[in-house]
Amino acid sequence: MANNNTLISVQDLKVYFRSSHECARAVDGVSFEVRKEETVCLVGESGCGKTVSALSILGLIPIPPGEIAGGRILFQGKNLLELDEEDMQKIRGNRIAMVFQEPLTSLNPVFTIEDQIGEAVRIHKNIGAGELRDCCIKLLKDVGIPSPVQRLKDYPHQLSGGQRQRVMIAMALACDPDLIIADEPTTALDVTVQAQILQLLKSIQKTRSMSVLYITHDLGVVANIADRVYVMYSGIVTEQGNTAQIFYDARHPYTQGLLASLPSRSKRGKRLYSIPGTVPNPAYKPEGCPFHPRCPHAISTCSREHPEMCDYSKAHLARCPVLFESANGYK
Amino acid sequence: MISFIGRSVIQKIITLFFVSIVSFLIIHIAPGKPSQVDPMNPKFTPEVVERFQKEFHLDKPLHVQYFYFYKDLFTGETISWKDNQSVINKIWERFLNSLPLFIVGTIITWTLSFPIGIRSAIFRGQFYDRSATFLSYLLISIPGFFFAYVLIIFVVNQFHVPVIGMETFGIGEGASLPHIFMDRIWHLLLPSMLGATGGIAVLSRYVRSQMLEVEGQDYIRTARAKGLPPEQVHYKHALRNALLPFVTMFGLILPGLIGGSVIIESIFSWPGMGRMAYEAILARDYPVILTVNFVSAVLVLAGTFISDLLYLIVDPRIRL
Ligand SMILES: Nc1ncnc2c1ncn2[C@@H]1O[C@H](COP(=O)(O)OP(=O)(O)O)[C@@H](O)[C@H]1O
Ligand code: SF4
Ligand SMILES: [Mg+2]
Repeated sequence: MANNNTLISVQDLKVYFRSSHECARAVDGVSFEVRKEETVCLVGESGCGKTVSALSILGLIPIPPGEIAGGRILFQGKNLLELDEEDMQKIRGNRIAMVFQEPLTSLNPVFTIEDQIGEAVRIHKNIGAGELRDCCIKLLKDVGIPSPVQRLKDYPHQLSGGQRQRVMIAMALACDPDLIIADEPTTALDVTVQAQILQLLKSIQKTRSMSVLYITHDLGVVANIADRVYVMYSGIVTEQGNTAQIFYDARHPYTQGLLASLPSRSKRGKRLYSIPGTVPNPAYKPEGCPFHPRCPHAISTCSREHPEMCDYSKAHLARCPVLFESANGYK
Repeated sequence: MISFIGRSVIQKIITLFFVSIVSFLIIHIAPGKPSQVDPMNPKFTPEVVERFQKEFHLDKPLHVQYFYFYKDLFTGETISWKDNQSVINKIWERFLNSLPLFIVGTIITWTLSFPIGIRSAIFRGQFYDRSATFLSYLLISIPGFFFAYVLIIFVVNQFHVPVIGMETFGIGEGASLPHIFMDRIWHLLLPSMLGATGGIAVLSRYVRSQMLEVEGQDYIRTARAKGLPPEQVHYKHALRNALLPFVTMFGLILPGLIGGSVIIESIFSWPGMGRMAYEAILARDYPVILTVNFVSAVLVLAGTFISDLLYLIVDPRIRL
């Protein structure tokens, strides 16, 4: 599975949140991998465990209430889940960096932009004060912030939402990481700004030949940026494939539902489809296939047996035996 | 900035003016009159009362009395009705007595509350946090006077040092300087510690909850995601934000200078401001009461003014 082109490989990851009376299985056996210089998307409705999967990679799950209940995260040959805190610190922000959803609350309100970007550089590199300043200016330039020298002494509240997210990206780029995890980086922004940030991430990925793990609930964004896609539902991966396979040959009823609810030119004027029902509470998941209460193809076995991944081709897998059997014509 | 200061000062002067009117009215509406202090007192002949009324303009209408009173206050000529002494001098003398108690008490409170509260938040739910929580609720629920007596008995029996008053009676004669100094320290320590205990219990809880709230913010996660070690996450990113609200409190401790603690000063026979004000109320010594009241109002307003200024300096989000 993991060849030497693989940068990070998450295998059967399980993350649970325990409280006194229940256990939320937020991530319940997720596997995915990101190869070098590749953009991979993790898609799914909100609450399906995308953020928790991402935070687990960086060891940022609050424990307790969180608990890593199983799995491995292999990064450059090391299992990140077995590293101690100090070794993890050398990876965070240095080899793997993260951009968060809310650029306003994710920046510390009482420190200047220069402080916060400079800190990201200084913590991993031995660098003098003058050099550090130049480095901050260059990073701000790279993420397209106008007159970067003037911005250095600004505080986060003095910037617009899009600029704040650019600063977050500059911080993530500080140590030239191998992987950037972007967790819904455009969700909190205006539509026009969303497109700019997306464009910025795309061009950064190209010019720096990095890998990007892009997390979103918006399948529309995926077509624009992804090389490969993992569709998540209720803490598991339900379908994976390259972008074309997911968009033109979706094999899982959930993926098909997501695609049907995308707005498009041919559907103009008509009411948009939406999948009936909601994502199950991770503490009380339905037996069998977690999607069965909402699935138009569900049969009686669906509510009993946990569905296995079915291979449509080497790279295209979907977790729905029902459609797999009807497509392949045998029982 | 300048206009902010100007506006703020003018606002505070207006507030002070209303405070002066309201407090003056309240004290005159309150039952009892100074001219009736003790009708059974043989020295209180009708002639004396009449002279008294004339001297202090009590026969004039209220607004004229108000005018006379604040004129005297601002020229420093107010005198106590009880002993004919200058009120300003009286207050100043008591203030100097209260000051060491206040300063030591405040220092103890602030230097202990912050480390305790911060550590509790960082180790929330663990042994340290639980012990600190238990102790602070214990200290909050034990009445101050009871705790004071327990401590006095303990210290007097254990160390054989007298602790009542500001110094041991008659120590001035023949004692060496270090001896006098140590004696003073002993007398100061117990009442300030007692004054501080309640403050520590409450303030450390408050620090803990502030710190906890900040620790849950997104920017703390960002700081960790950068690869910062936990100390820098807690003491740089979290603490800076958690301290902001205390800047306001810092300005508000100023009025504590004048209130002092009546209970603690009474228990330890400490001739401080709190006791003086309390005794003045009992004696219906209006000039003293009103002057203390006015000075506290000034201190409260000055305190809020200082907090506003400090906030302006420490919180970059507040700009004028
Ligand atoms: N700190 C936490 N404590 C308890 N439950 C959590 C916590 N973080 C996440 N969860 C649970 O994990 C589930 C998945 O969350 P998340 O990964 O944030 O979803 P999303 O796919 O929208 O990013 C949520 O439904 C929530 O119940
Ligand atoms: S396994 Fe059954 S319920 Fe699940 S997606 Fe397939 S048909 Fe639907
Ligand atoms: Mg999320």
